[in-house]
Amino acid sequence: MAVRTEPIYPIPWYRGRFASWLVTTDHKRIGILYVATSLLFFVLGGALALLIRIELFTPETADVVGRVTFNQLFTMHGLTMIFLVVVPIFAGFGNFLIPLMIGAADMAFPRLNAFSYWAFLFGGVILYGSWFSAGGPADTGWYLYPPYSAQTTTSVDLTILSLHLLAIGSFAGAVNFVATVHTLRTAGMTWMRMPLFVWAIYTYSLLLIATLPVVGAALTMLLLDRQAGTHFFLPDEGGNAVLYQHMFWFFGHPEVYVMILPAFGIVSEVLPVFARKPIFGYAAIAFSTIGIAFVSMLVWAHHMFTVGMPNFLNGFFMIASVLVAVPTGVKIINWLATLWRGNLNFATPMLFALGVISVFTIGGISGVFVAAFPFDWQVHDSYFIVAHMHYVLFGGSIFGIFAALYYWWPKMFGRMLGEGLGKLNFWLFFVGMNLTFGPQHMLGLLGMPRRVAGYRDEDWLVTWNVVSSIGSLMIGLGVLVFFLNVLRSRKSRRVGNDPWLGDTLEWYTTSPPPEHNFDRLPYISSPRPLRDLRRRLAEQRA
Amino acid sequence: MATHAEAAEHHHGPPVANQSSRVDSRVLGMFLFIASEVMLFGAFFTAYFFVRVVAGSPWPEPPFHLPVFVAGVNTAILVTSSFTIHWALQSIKRDNRAGLQAGLVLTLALGIVFLLTQVREYSRVGFNPGDGAFGTIFYGLTGLHGAHVFVGLTLLTFASIRAFRGHFSAAHHHGVEIPGIYWHFVDVMWIVVYVTIYIL
Repeated sequence: MAVRTEPIYPIPWYRGRFASWLVTTDHKRIGILYVATSLLFFVLGGALALLIRIELFTPETADVVGRVTFNQLFTMHGLTMIFLVVVPIFAGFGNFLIPLMIGAADMAFPRLNAFSYWAFLFGGVILYGSWFSAGGPADTGWYLYPPYSAQTTTSVDLTILSLHLLAIGSFAGAVNFVATVHTLRTAGMTWMRMPLFVWAIYTYSLLLIATLPVVGAALTMLLLDRQAGTHFFLPDEGGNAVLYQHMFWFFGHPEVYVMILPAFGIVSEVLPVFARKPIFGYAAIAFSTIGIAFVSMLVWAHHMFTVGMPNFLNGFFMIASVLVAVPTGVKIINWLATLWRGNLNFATPMLFALGVISVFTIGGISGVFVAAFPFDWQVHDSYFIVAHMHYVLFGGSIFGIFAALYYWWPKMFGRMLGEGLGKLNFWLFFVGMNLTFGPQHMLGLLGMPRRVAGYRDEDWLVTWNVVSSIGSLMIGLGVLVFFLNVLRSRKSRRVGNDPWLGDTLEWYTTSPPPEHNFDRLPYISSPRPLRDLRRRLAEQRA
Repeated sequence: MATHAEAAEHHHGPPVANQSSRVDSRVLGMFLFIASEVMLFGAFFTAYFFVRVVAGSPWPEPPFHLPVFVAGVNTAILVTSSFTIHWALQSIKRDNRAGLQAGLVLTLALGIVFLLTQVREYSRVGFNPGDGAFGTIFYGLTGLHGAHVFVGLTLLTFASIRAFRGHFSAAHHHGVEIPGIYWHFVDVMWIVVYVTIYIL
């Protein structure tokens, strides 16, 4: 008897192996698309950063790349890492995890969700397409300050188009997250029983909804000034260039918290699992997230201490900025209390989470320094600022992202990433980032301005720059190790539903989860539903 | 408990979604969108504030005048359209299809008249967006609002087409309600724009 080889029902093209990824509205697949695309852009943005560090290996100006190219490199590096890596990869984790964590079958608006992803992808393609435009990519710095951005011949217009697309995608995603968290929580999942990562993504979304329109307005005005002859920002006919800075940073500073709050959420998920203890101060961490978000909307002008604001405004923004340290400190103390007398398991996700706590705290402390405007006047636009923001963005956001990748990889793909390569990855990142960005504090205090392609040929300036460049190569090596790990994980063993003994609902379903996520759900009676289940099973057995 | 077990026996596939909020997700989505729209207008009002208060420039800039009366009549037209869309929604809630259709068509007509009046005003006002910060802000704010009226009209056009094709009922009328919320927002925002640009 002949064996039937073709399926009984013909499979339509949109269920095909590749086409199904193009038309999918499944939150898990969209999440994976987000993460994969963001990692691709992470490699591109990292390559730009390495070029910057190679140029700065020697003091000569423009010995590797030209001056304009150098400006384009740091502009594209900033735009890439912010808009194409950190923000969308958190949207990716949010997409994959939020419906699983709250016990929903999908997001509230699945098709809008797919739109968000494709808007992000094409925004990124357009941004990188600007390399092929006549003027090359923008050379203005990622914040596109006028009047220079209104006059340069590099393709600021394409950058604005790309940012509009990215903002629309990001915004649609944010609305989707908020609507999902409000309306689709499973029975018993009250607000105070939601995982802390859900709190973080919820707050991330509220910040995006409140601030993206403002940068959208600023960029539209900039486009009009460039192309339609208006005078929003051009001072020659009554416009105001500082107005752009206010609008940009009204978005730009909350954006910083958009990039760090989900990383905090990840740390709050990882620590209790690997310390084998409940999170200490659940409510304090949840509300400090909201608190940081609220204060973050009132601190934007600390990026503008040198534009000549009256001192009472400088003072207001200084105090508001220092105030951010309070809810942030609440988080850090609660994390330390979670670790206290825990049964610590130093697996790779835990290492990255501990990396966030230690390295981010250094960046947070230097942040309090630069929040003081007299100090900021000394180090403004110097390498001290570069060091500070990379300590929080690399040490906070990127470490958080890698903690999430190692922690949730088995849930996403059903296979573990290797522990050996994972630890190598962590130590290369940890040592590399401290070598890269630690010396930049000293460079800044020595007076080296940021965004220059050369520096004076003096002892310490050269030494610290060489150390910094060597560190950056270590980070690059760490990224290679990560991708090697990903390749090798294709052959690693399959894991069960809950390889880490996690307590949140995403570990209740299979790895990877089926299309509809859950066959049935327990009634949620605490923030740790799986622990409740295990306890109930143990009681039944006893 | 017995009924629950019975229901579980007859129910196949994933569990029924739990609704954890009284607010419908689509209505919530529109309110979030409107919140962001408020921020968008807020950014343009900040530009206005910078010109009028921070720089202290005269408003309107001396040789130019703003047609306060015509714009006032236009304001009345747009505010009326808020009542007609409300009428349309209340009608379909009572299964009154004729009322729904009449309300939507009237709203569309009033919105179009508003936009045409705005276009006419632009052609006669005597300055353009390049005429100093004053012209820029005037066209920026009224143009931004005009674009929103256009979007609102587009949404209402789809709602009208559906109303004439027999969609919507007393139980299902989100397709009218949600564009309606947006339309009310556009109207309220116009009142703010009118007061700040023309009257103050």
